[in-house]
Amino acid sequence: MTSQTLEKSNSIEQVRYGCAIGALHSATAIPRVVPITHCGPGCADKQFMNLSFYNGFQGGGYGGGAVVPSTNATEREVVFGGADRLRELIEATLKIIDADLYVVVTGCIADLVGDDVGSVVGEFQRRGVPIVYAETGGFRGNNFTGHELVVKSIIDQYVGEYSGPRERGTINLWSLLPVHNTFWRGDLSELKRILEGIGLKVNVLFGHESGGVAEWKEIPKAQFNLVLSPWLGLSIAQHLEKKYGQYFLHVPSIPIGAKETSAFLRKVAKFARLPKKQVETFIEQEEKRYYLYLEDFSDFYAEYWWGLPAKFVVIGDSAYNLALTRFLVNQLGLIPGKQIITENPPDDFREAIREEYRRIAEDVSTEVEFEEDSYTIHQKIRATDFGHKPPVFFGTTWERDLAKEMKGALVEVGFPASYEVVINRSYVGYRGALSLLEKIYTTIVSASA
Amino acid sequence: MAINLKTPVVESREQRLGTVIAWDGSASKLAKESGYASGDCSSCGSKARKLCEAQGPFTQGSICSEMMVECQAGNVRDAVTVQHSPIGCGAGQVIYNSIFRNGLASRGLPVQNLHLISTNLREKDMVYGGIGKLEESVREAKRRHDPKAIFIATSCATGIIGDDVDGAASALEEELGIPVIPLHCEGFKSKHWSTGFDATQHGIVRQIVNKKPKKQKDLVNVINLWGSDVFSPMLGELGLRVNYVVDMATVAELAQLSEAVATVSHCYTLATYMAQALEQEYGVPEIKAPQPYGTIGTDAWLREVARVTHREEKAEAYIAKEHERIASKLEELRGKLKGVKGYVATGSAYAHAMVEVLRELGVEVEGTVVFHHDPVYDSLDPRQDTLSHMINHSGEVPNFSVSNRQQYQFYALLQKVKPDFIIVRHNGLAPLASRLGIPAIPLGDEHHPLGYQGLLNLGESILDVLAHRKFHQDLAAHARIPYKKSWLAESDPYILAKNKIAHQTLENP
Repeated sequence: MTSQTLEKSNSIEQVRYGCAIGALHSATAIPRVVPITHCGPGCADKQFMNLSFYNGFQGGGYGGGAVVPSTNATEREVVFGGADRLRELIEATLKIIDADLYVVVTGCIADLVGDDVGSVVGEFQRRGVPIVYAETGGFRGNNFTGHELVVKSIIDQYVGEYSGPRERGTINLWSLLPVHNTFWRGDLSELKRILEGIGLKVNVLFGHESGGVAEWKEIPKAQFNLVLSPWLGLSIAQHLEKKYGQYFLHVPSIPIGAKETSAFLRKVAKFARLPKKQVETFIEQEEKRYYLYLEDFSDFYAEYWWGLPAKFVVIGDSAYNLALTRFLVNQLGLIPGKQIITENPPDDFREAIREEYRRIAEDVSTEVEFEEDSYTIHQKIRATDFGHKPPVFFGTTWERDLAKEMKGALVEVGFPASYEVVINRSYVGYRGALSLLEKIYTTIVSASA
Repeated sequence: MAINLKTPVVESREQRLGTVIAWDGSASKLAKESGYASGDCSSCGSKARKLCEAQGPFTQGSICSEMMVECQAGNVRDAVTVQHSPIGCGAGQVIYNSIFRNGLASRGLPVQNLHLISTNLREKDMVYGGIGKLEESVREAKRRHDPKAIFIATSCATGIIGDDVDGAASALEEELGIPVIPLHCEGFKSKHWSTGFDATQHGIVRQIVNKKPKKQKDLVNVINLWGSDVFSPMLGELGLRVNYVVDMATVAELAQLSEAVATVSHCYTLATYMAQALEQEYGVPEIKAPQPYGTIGTDAWLREVARVTHREEKAEAYIAKEHERIASKLEELRGKLKGVKGYVATGSAYAHAMVEVLRELGVEVEGTVVFHHDPVYDSLDPRQDTLSHMINHSGEVPNFSVSNRQQYQFYALLQKVKPDFIIVRHNGLAPLASRLGIPAIPLGDEHHPLGYQGLLNLGESILDVLAHRKFHQDLAAHARIPYKKSWLAESDPYILAKNKIAHQTLENP
């Protein structure tokens, strides 16, 4: 490996995110909301087949997959503009697709040609059609930034103004990126469960437990916004603060395991000024259950003969990366080997993220790196000294061969996870942590003779 | 009509062949309107005929040419494909990696990740151009993998901003000393993604194929995808060796395309552009026969391969042997499949073959949907008229639809026929069928139903999938369908197109 190959390159080999129009999934993740894509013929399918299908085989759900309407722009729309074609498609969609809200997202073609999408969608909005738009041309950014654009569009163009009273004890949850995070459905469900356990009402907004557009209409009434991720959703919360005067609580690390989860719940409870008794009763009951199972697991963890990994590598987007690192260090007592964040977080947030890793535990500090190109990532890992035995990898399908080469176990925890079939599995909170333990150690044990 | 290899840009299917992506009627009507029906295409002139197209205002996301470049050029084992595009096009690396790995494993080749690199264009590149990044990525591709060739896939974005990809590729080819091949595959440039197959093949014939071939008298090109190795045993019976292209081939295997004694394929939709180009440029005969499916098709295909390669006796012996081998099992399957109703929903020429296979198995086929229709193939040779072959040898398909993976139309198409199962290759239609209680056979291995053994394979797969119905029927009782009741009640899935055409005729008589 030469130093030259590790220079920062614009090239991305083995992608770890989609483009901004991949945020069509932020529409399909809301019950009965359907995106309308104004783009080339392959864009909608490409984002779906990769971000959703070959990533845990999640399925298109109600309005995703091959259901998604698309202008399938041709040379005509490039030369003469695609506004008329978009108008025609929206009109036809209203006759064919049964949805509570339509979200128009644009691709490179519309954004480069300069179609006035706002004015076309505006015509329908004035007719009272529940429809919004976001300009998500692929060159504008990735599906993380696209997600924030789509969410803000729905808030501004559909949820609308509100000046009524607030509901004490109700919160909006902004956390994992739907669909891109392979386990988002199960995870959001667990997060909702534990937050409701301490007495909150949770607008989870995405996934099967969301109340759909009716729940989105409730957003302005919430007492506050909870941003549970290193950075994603912060700009949404800031937007809501400005728009509705709603304050927010930012917790960068998604909790995994009893220690993290109980601390998280106490933090939220304090912020929400919830009565202590209910909070502590819930925590006690969850911890009791958690530690009974952990006790069962501990026999294996304490005296399994054939070697368990001591170090770990995490390659993934910042939300899961940080959450896993905290859990592996603090709950399992593993040693950080290499942590690489792959979703290209905006520069403004990077120092704060680095700081989280520096104080990952009272007695453990580690450095995190930011890199999107898998070739570079893999070279960095090959160049790392992991000591006397291979680390356990928390990564993606792209690490399958690397893990084999280095004789380590691989747990696929993020996009793309083409060797996982995921339905409602969760890796966060109290319950998810136990599933994660099962997954990690089944993977390791099943590789033995 | 000669294939034009002079320019780096491939001529699209609709320009060359008159391809349509929306049409509805019977198979025989489509065959008649396609111009092959006369048995002589010479009167059709050098340009494609014009079929009436039933394109309506509503369309669902489909597939693009760039994806076909990714899954062909991007799956050449010792080449790299640079995707000159914003990062979204690069998302396809995931699916084509999964397919590549499974294909390699099934062919007994070393499993590896594919080599696709995105230039990751951003907003400022849209303003100032992306050639600098392209050059950097191509050099990076060489440095990282030392490939034997580098393909460049263009994108809608680079097509619009007008990057001079051809100029950059020529300069880089000289600099790096390996073929650097621009593949023009902007999604908006063709209404059908199969143009992407042609774009890849165009580049291969122009820049990789050996220009001074040394003939290999027993080598046959097989243009296919990731299918298991069924051609080697078949053609081995005739003393022929197989050169599989494009997926999972090496650059050297692509180079020897011009040295073969004939070119065959598993599907004319995929293969006829390159097969015709090889015949035109290097005199490698393209086998013009029915496709090798079902006993009638396979017999005729083998005989034509044998005639062209002068191995008639061996072919006859093999044909007789195979007929005898499969006879009793075929009879048994026909007994078990009596009264079962199937529906074919695949790519165009492949669908024609599937209908024949199903009917030979005794399965009823009243409906078929293809994603596009090529009125002719590049050879213009009626012996490749797969649609007429299907009609002549297996009978009419009364509900024959062309629909470019439009799921909203598929509902009514299924209601007309109410099949017990469907056959698919491309994703997107089976999920709706499932919600209606109908299971699908997804033919990931495109060779599964090919040849004599293919008949038996598909018959067994049908029996397997009929058992699956329990899952789908249970689901159907609970599943949600995203289409409006009024649309589900509409029996004509092309009504919107017909209304649009009628409206336009009123306005512009």
